Amino acid sequence: MITHHPHSNTLVEFSSGTLPVAHSVCVSTHLDHCSECRSKLAKLDDLGGAMLENGTAESVSSSVFDAVMLRLDEVSPEPAANDATAASLSSMVKKIRSGATADLNWRRVTKSLRIASLGDVPGASEVSVYHISEGGKIPQHNHSGTEMTLVLSGGFSDETGIYHAGDFLVREAGDIHAPTALPGGDCICLAVLESPLKFTRWHYRWLNPLLQLRAG
Amino acid sequence: MVDKQGEGARGQPANFAWSVPQGRRTDEWSLCVVRIAEYRDRAAFGKFFAHFAPLIKAFALSGSSLSAAHADELVQEVMLKVWQKAAGFNPEKAAASTWVYTIARNCRTDMFRRLQKFDTQLEAEDIGFELESDEPTMALHASRGAVRVRELLKDLPQDQAQILAKVYMEGKSHSETAAELGLPLGTVKSRVRLAIQKLQVFMDAGLQQ
Repeated sequence: MITHHPHSNTLVEFSSGTLPVAHSVCVSTHLDHCSECRSKLAKLDDLGGAMLENGTAESVSSSVFDAVMLRLDEVSPEPAANDATAASLSSMVKKIRSGATADLNWRRVTKSLRIASLGDVPGASEVSVYHISEGGKIPQHNHSGTEMTLVLSGGFSDETGIYHAGDFLVREAGDIHAPTALPGGDCICLAVLESPLKFTRWHYRWLNPLLQLRAG
Repeated sequence: MVDKQGEGARGQPANFAWSVPQGRRTDEWSLCVVRIAEYRDRAAFGKFFAHFAPLIKAFALSGSSLSAAHADELVQEVMLKVWQKAAGFNPEKAAASTWVYTIARNCRTDMFRRLQKFDTQLEAEDIGFELESDEPTMALHASRGAVRVRELLKDLPQDQAQILAKVYMEGKSHSETAAELGLPLGTVKSRVRLAIQKLQVFMDAGLQQ
């Protein structure tokens, strides 16, 4: 049961196409899990449709119409197949959304924590997948920017609550926490950071450079 | 060129769609898309183009977010997608205007990224969410949500309408909107929430605002 949802402002940004790419991946992954937010999105898209229809029509030259009519035969009526060579990130997103994360490029950070970076994405400093072993703990850290997290499988708890698959949460800059994976299975999360997180306890600080994982 | 029948459908009382049985939309534009999908009907496509292309152009031009040339390019891209994706349109799920809006939004997002030379191979469609389910609330909502929102939009206070226009029509993020209007980000956020409350966007399914 999903108990932590994106804020309505976040859904509005998603529906209006103004949310950065990486954050949109988190939101759409949440939508995979959450029928309540799917209904909300459908309604917000209706609002977009209504705004579109309420616009003041701008005349379109007949040459644009002619150009489109000439090109109708070029487009296949089926949705275009994905270019197999392109879009490693896109296929990665599909993998993540389907829960297949085994062959990501994992790096071990602590005994119970592995992180796979998904590379550079506009509008975020770091997009990565976290894997916390069952019962394992992420060392206490703070956030220098906003962090958006989506639980893909398993669950974790921290000072503020318990989060399960599909739950969506946002940590603001300055929040300090130490998440622990729930018993019963490993926890896998998708995390979008505005700026890298920092471990706060001195004996973990040596890990900080390891978190600068941006793929080159 | 505005079609007479189209005028009639839009001139119906606000609750016209409420009486459509089983949520099946019978409005003209939905029928158009269904005809395009089933018969590759070019006449239906032409009619759809005449109605929506000028609206898509207005969407592209609003807030001068795109040049006139790019706006025409966007119109072409969106209309070709309409032709291509018509089979995926389900009139029980969404209003035609909502469906076209989501296509236009995705095309614009990709165009913004191309123009800003963001190096991402990820397309808005890969991330976007296609609502494809037979959840009962969907059918119910599709038949009336769009129509009612359009009615309520007319009475929205100016400051809220202005912000929705920035966000939906101009494609500005909340922070860009705040910067352009010289407002604190929190004010923009709360006006957006007030607006969707006023528009009763989340009303019928008993969803929280």
